[in-house]
Formats: sequence, C-alpha cells, structure tokens
Amino acid sequence: MDDETYLNERIRVVATFGEGLNLCRPLRFKRPNGREYEITEIGLRHPSMKGARMLHIFDVTDGSADFRLEFDAERLTWHLTREADHVG
Amino acid sequence: MLGSDKYNTEPSLIMHVDLNSAFASIEQQSRPLLRSKPVAIVNRRTKNTSIVAASYEAKDLGVKVGMRFEEAARLAPNLIAVESDPPKYRFVYKKLLDILNSYSPNVVMKSIDEGVIDFHNVPLEKSLVEIGYEIKKRLREEVGCAMRCNVGIAPNRFLAKTAAGLNKPDGLDVINASNLCEVYAAMQLTDLTGIAKHLKKRLNAVGIFTPLEFLDADKATLQKVVFKSIDGRKWYARLRGYEVDDRKFDVKTVGRQYVLENRNLTQKQISTRLHHLCESVGFRLRSQNKVARGVYVYVRTLDHKYWHDCRMLPMPFYSDRTINLIAQRLFLNAPEAVMEIGVRCYGVSDDNDKQLSLFSDETVREQNLVGAIDVINRRFGDRTVHSADTMMTGRFIRTKIPFGSTRYL
Repeated sequence: MDDETYLNERIRVVATFGEGLNLCRPLRFKRPNGREYEITEIGLRHPSMKGARMLHIFDVTDGSADFRLEFDAERLTWHLTREADHVG
Repeated sequence: MLGSDKYNTEPSLIMHVDLNSAFASIEQQSRPLLRSKPVAIVNRRTKNTSIVAASYEAKDLGVKVGMRFEEAARLAPNLIAVESDPPKYRFVYKKLLDILNSYSPNVVMKSIDEGVIDFHNVPLEKSLVEIGYEIKKRLREEVGCAMRCNVGIAPNRFLAKTAAGLNKPDGLDVINASNLCEVYAAMQLTDLTGIAKHLKKRLNAVGIFTPLEFLDADKATLQKVVFKSIDGRKWYARLRGYEVDDRKFDVKTVGRQYVLENRNLTQKQISTRLHHLCESVGFRLRSQNKVARGVYVYVRTLDHKYWHDCRMLPMPFYSDRTINLIAQRLFLNAPEAVMEIGVRCYGVSDDNDKQLSLFSDETVREQNLVGAIDVINRRFGDRTVHSADTMMTGRFIRTKIPFGSTRYL
C-alpha cells in the first residue's frame, strides 16, 4: 500500500513569483514543529476548486520525501496536506 | 469511399495522441520519488481493490489493469498503490487538450488520456511527423519530464489509433497504404480496436484468423455473414484506411455506479447509497442542461447475477428528488446479497422546453429550489447542500475517474 500520510498543517513558505512553467515556485517551507525543508523539484502544480475558492496544489519533493503543499489563492495561506517518504 | 477495393492512398492527415500509462505517469510526474518504481493506481486503499492503471515498471512485472491489488502485489512485492486523484488527471487532460487545439480546430478527445487531431483543411507548415515529435516535446515541457505519449498518424481514425499502439511507450508511427499489410501481418485479430472475443469468434467461424485474412475477406461475407449489418461494410472500409468513424455521439444516458464498500450492509444503508448516486446523477444531468424521461436501476449480486428494472415517465424531469423517487421504487424489487448498484437516466434531451413551468406551481417551486441548491453547491463545493439521508454516504462514495467519456471533465 501507499505510505502517504494525510495532514493539515499551516506552514511558512518562501516562494518566488516569476516566469516559466511554474509562475509561482515554492523554494522552502517550515513546519509547525520547526523542521525546514528545501524543495528540490516541483513535480506538478495543478489548480483545484473548493467551491468557488481556488487552491493551487504543488506536489514537491526535497529528495527524501514527497510533499503536497496547498496555496489558498483567496486567503493567501499555505498548508502541508500530504507527506510520503517511500523509498522502496 | 465505402465499397472501394483499394487501400486509401490519400495523405495521412489524422493524428492520434495517447498518453502512456496516463494516471500512473501523472503520479510519477507529481511525486518524483515514485519514478522508476512499480506503481498501481487504485480507487480505494484496500487490498481487495482493483488496479485502474499501472506504470510501465509495474507492467514489466506482470501487473495488469483490472487485476486485484492483492494478486498484483504477489507478482510485484514492491508495488506501490496510489489512490487516484481525479483533479490532477483533469488538469493534465486540459493541458493535453490545449496542446492539441493549438494545431487544428478539429480536435476530439476520445477519453481522459487520448485525443484525435484532424488536419484536413488545416494549412501545414511542417510534416505531421515533425508535429508529432513537437507534441511529445511540449508535453514534457508544459506538464513535466515524466510525461510520455504515443503518436499515430494515418489516413483514418482507426489506423491512427492502431499506429499509436504499435510501439509503446513513447512511440511515433505512421500507417498508410504502403505499409498497411506489413502492419497487419504483425498483429492478432484482437489487437484491432473493436475486435474482442465475441467478434473474433464470429470471424473465426468463417475462416478468418488473422488481420490479413480479415483484410482479404470480401465485402459481402463481412456484411451478410459475419456482422449481418452495415458494420460489415464499415469494417471493410475501415481496414483499408477510409474514414467511417468521424461521428459525434449525443449524450443518451447519464449515470453512476458504486461497488458497495461492505458486503453486510442493510437494505436501508444500500438505499441511502442509491440516493447518493441519484443526487450525483441529477447534478450531472443539470450541469449539461439536460432533462431525462426515464430511470434505470441495476444491481449486481454477490453470485455475479445481474438484475435491472426501469421506468419511463410521460414528462421530462431533472430533479434529484424525482430521480430518487423512481429509483427507490424500482429498487424495492431488487434481489438481496447486493455487491454493486447503479442508476442511469435515459431518454435524455436538451433542457429547452420552458413550457414545463406552465404546468403547475409545484414544478416552478421545484425548479427554483433545485436551481438554488445547484448554485450553492457550485459556489461552496460539491455536496454542500444535499439530502439528510445521504449525510454519511460521502465518506464512501467519491468521484472517481471518468473512463471513456470526457463529458464531465
């Protein structure tokens, strides 16, 4: 089975807004427990609607685990919603 | 050109684009640590669940779509099951559609992971082969480096799809009059799209055992003996590269099915799940501005028996309440030991008959109420307002991947 853990942690994120495939690029994030992660790759960014509210979902990795970060475009908040560290 | 004995020698202007192991590739794209690993996409996180897609690494170990996860995990002990994530697949579908639309106004998506571009009457600055390689490159650049697709180019839709299946993954093949026989010679009958066990048996009965023999068969045999319909003539033309599949299908039914999460549910619990399906079908029907005239309910039992019943009404309807009322009445006669339930609205037509509102105050009130609920659900999210009866069912019945159809995407 998959080892994905579902979370709902408000996180602090350093991101850039520029050009290219991903106009918004989260670079690093800090969890409430104080741990910091450097994002090495954005796997996929896709929008998702929560009713009329737009969320931007970033599936990213730091090289040791995959994470899902959700950016709420209305409330301007970031949440960590999934973590998976499968290394088979 | 139905009826011609020769192969179609017109230029190959149909392109079929097929994402390779689409859902598994999208998951490997979005979760980099899954790349190069055997991955299976499932709709539920249980051992009993069926596999809806598998990565190439999993396929190499013998994992097949439709297999139970438990069985697949025996073949591939390191198999990683990932729960399907439809919004992500819809996003990639839209990206692919944008790419395809940039080459021709005549693009039809055949399913969530494959589309057809018709280049007839489109001014071409480069060859279709060059365009095919460009689409592959753009897919990697605009979606991600793990995305691959197969491209097939041919004079008709059937051969283009066949070409797209020749060299997986990441192939690009052209079929035309010059290599048609060579391609058929390397195939089995059931490799042809549209020929499965049943039709194979009928072809075998008249001595046709290979695609080349199928190609050599005369039109009269196909029409009068094998297919016993105009389908025989169509196959005769289709195999030779003439277009017979450029058709648009109207929405005829809107439905939804559900495999029960537990085999020991009471009739009352099953009935609430049926109610949930009715709400979902009603919302889909109205989202397409359609009304229906009939409701069809089916049940599959634990001993794999199939029961169904249906009812047609004199007046069109569209509300969840009406669909559920009819479905629940039909369901009263359903057998016990149910494994799967389904509900489908049929007799579907466009909702342009505003005279409905002239019939009674009750109809107008229902129209207004249903309209208001749909507005709330669109604004605040699916199932913000629903029947109290289905309060708990949302935990079990979730929207999954719409196979085959792209009308809800």
